[in-house]
Amino acid sequence: MAESVDEKYFDELAQTIIDGEEEDCLRVINEGLARGVDPLDAVEKGLAKGINKIGDDFAEEIVFLPELIMAADVMKAGMKILDEKIKAGGKERKSLGKIVLGTIKGDIHDIGKSVVGAVLQANGFDVIDLGIDVDEDTYIQAVIENNADCLGMSTLLTLPLMTMGEVIEKMNEKGLRRTVKVIVGGCPVTQEFADEIGADAVGFDAKDAVKKVKRLLDV
Amino acid sequence: MKGFTGKLVGSLYPITEEECKQIHHAAVRVLEEGGMRCDDERAAKMFEKAGCKIEQDGKLIKFTEKIVMDAIGKCPGDFKLYGRNDPELDINIGWDEVHFATVTGRYIQDFRTGERRQATRQDAIEGTLVADALENVHGLYKSVMWIYDEPKICNSQILVAEQMKNTNKTSTWVYNTGAEHEVPDLIKIWQIAAGGAEVLKAKPHLIGHVIVNPPRVIDVNYTNWLIGFCDAGIPVTAYSALMGGATGPATLAGMLVQIIAETLALVVQIQTYKPGHPTTFNSFNPAMDMRTGLWSFGNPEYGTVGGGIAAMARHYGVPCTGFCICDSCETDQQTAYEKAFKLYSYALNGIALSWDIGGMAGFNFVTWPEMVLENEVVSFIGQYLKGIRVDEERMSVDEILAVGPLPGSYLNRKHTKNWYRKEFLIPKLSNRDFFESWERGHTELQEKAKEKTAKILETQKSPVAPEIQKEIDDYLDFVVKRDTE
Repeated sequence: MAESVDEKYFDELAQTIIDGEEEDCLRVINEGLARGVDPLDAVEKGLAKGINKIGDDFAEEIVFLPELIMAADVMKAGMKILDEKIKAGGKERKSLGKIVLGTIKGDIHDIGKSVVGAVLQANGFDVIDLGIDVDEDTYIQAVIENNADCLGMSTLLTLPLMTMGEVIEKMNEKGLRRTVKVIVGGCPVTQEFADEIGADAVGFDAKDAVKKVKRLLDV
Repeated sequence: MKGFTGKLVGSLYPITEEECKQIHHAAVRVLEEGGMRCDDERAAKMFEKAGCKIEQDGKLIKFTEKIVMDAIGKCPGDFKLYGRNDPELDINIGWDEVHFATVTGRYIQDFRTGERRQATRQDAIEGTLVADALENVHGLYKSVMWIYDEPKICNSQILVAEQMKNTNKTSTWVYNTGAEHEVPDLIKIWQIAAGGAEVLKAKPHLIGHVIVNPPRVIDVNYTNWLIGFCDAGIPVTAYSALMGGATGPATLAGMLVQIIAETLALVVQIQTYKPGHPTTFNSFNPAMDMRTGLWSFGNPEYGTVGGGIAAMARHYGVPCTGFCICDSCETDQQTAYEKAFKLYSYALNGIALSWDIGGMAGFNFVTWPEMVLENEVVSFIGQYLKGIRVDEERMSVDEILAVGPLPGSYLNRKHTKNWYRKEFLIPKLSNRDFFESWERGHTELQEKAKEKTAKILETQKSPVAPEIQKEIDDYLDFVVKRDTE
């Protein structure tokens, strides 16, 4: 394809992220792959460009959480296809870091954690969202399987707080804490509590979480 | 138990329809039995023409209910104030829309230095530009009461000229210096701004104030203005400048009776001079603070009596406007609660145009950051007034069924994206940080307002056509030369 056609294609792909249109995104990806577009280029020049734009607009308060979350969802759906193709082609995609996220066992509050995930994604991180009511072993397993750089745990309730400490203890036992940072967040989480259980940082809101993760991973 | 009892006696209006009739009859009795003192021969002739009984060699005017009701019957139920060269700036003065406008003050706080001082011509320009830039400001009173770096004799002309040169929004005018040429000069400037005398008549861009001097005096100055406004086709608001406990009774019902009597007298005068002329009732009803003698505007009684005036205006089928303002002498919590209560209650009372934005301490103090803050307050009021629109789409049953029960979320849904900006207010200045984020560092609201003011003044340019500005300047040169040489 001529360069100008490529540019137009990648802009179209980025726009599907900005618009939060999953069907369009998948259609454009499949059309591109059929035409021989490099899947790595599709991620870096298309999807990433779109999510970065949404991230910038979110920071500037031009768009807000619904647009951001929708863009992150579409990004995730597009990445699923493209990551497989990239792996199949023997290539590797770079990201700022892999973050495993989840709401801790005993708590089913999903929104805050999802918002943090979307904002992290919009800032160039790969996010593996384990959902809600996540137990210790599931966290640990996901960290190992994904070769994660950071684990994020969240809760809105006070009772499940202590489970966060137990997860960190298990990570210590398995020697994971040498390479994996831990950030915690949620309404009852204080800096004192984070220090007490040995977490590396507290994210007091989504933007703060991104700032802290960037600092922890030195990116 | 002392203090607030929580007994619910209020409603949208502080008086019932039955009580409106009682107030009307009491006001008519005042006009029939006591009448109005009249200090102006031209006014006496107008009242004579209306059929009033003229006593004491033209100095005392007595009315009948029929005269009053004939005059009320001539007032239009609504009318329009026109933005100049921009229909989006038009505002309807009736009972289906409410609008908010700036108010004036004797002193200004320089937002750049924090200094409280007398205002200058540049302040008048800047106040106009800031008001022009704010989306919830629908009209302007003069930015400052007087400008101290220009001759007193033509202060009003300079103030109006600078206002007309820097905004196309609607405006208002209350008698100011009483200088010999004030009335014809200002009318000339308004005519130039409109694009000519006939355009001003067809599409008036301001409303003028005609006021009784309480208790019960029709005076010369306001008769000058009444004639000037009516001849130029400028709608008028007619009212009493009564102060409860000093120039009016110390009961709220008594204040209302006198205000309505005095307003009705003016309505007779206006509608006799120019039948069908657009006219409103108006709220300007301070009560005296009996501890200090202060002309108090921030008191709750002001808002209640204002609501009573609105109820009476509605009873008569005449539109209503009103001054709000607070007593607090700075942008603080007192300013916020005095203004928020009154602006919201005035909006619910259907007062079509409220003059309040930017002003504090009665008519003593204005700041532009306060204007910016009140622009935000009005956005909140607008959201309250929108209420809840109930239709199939907004009831969202399909969406509710599609999402729940948990773990579904509405946050990533097209329905949410399509609706949240239409249904939720996203404030421009108000803090909505998470507590910890706020605690770690934030910009105080007043600082945000100052920053926004500075930003507006860096970028805001006059929307007024250069040829109109030049014509105003040329006329002003003539006025200043005439008055100062």
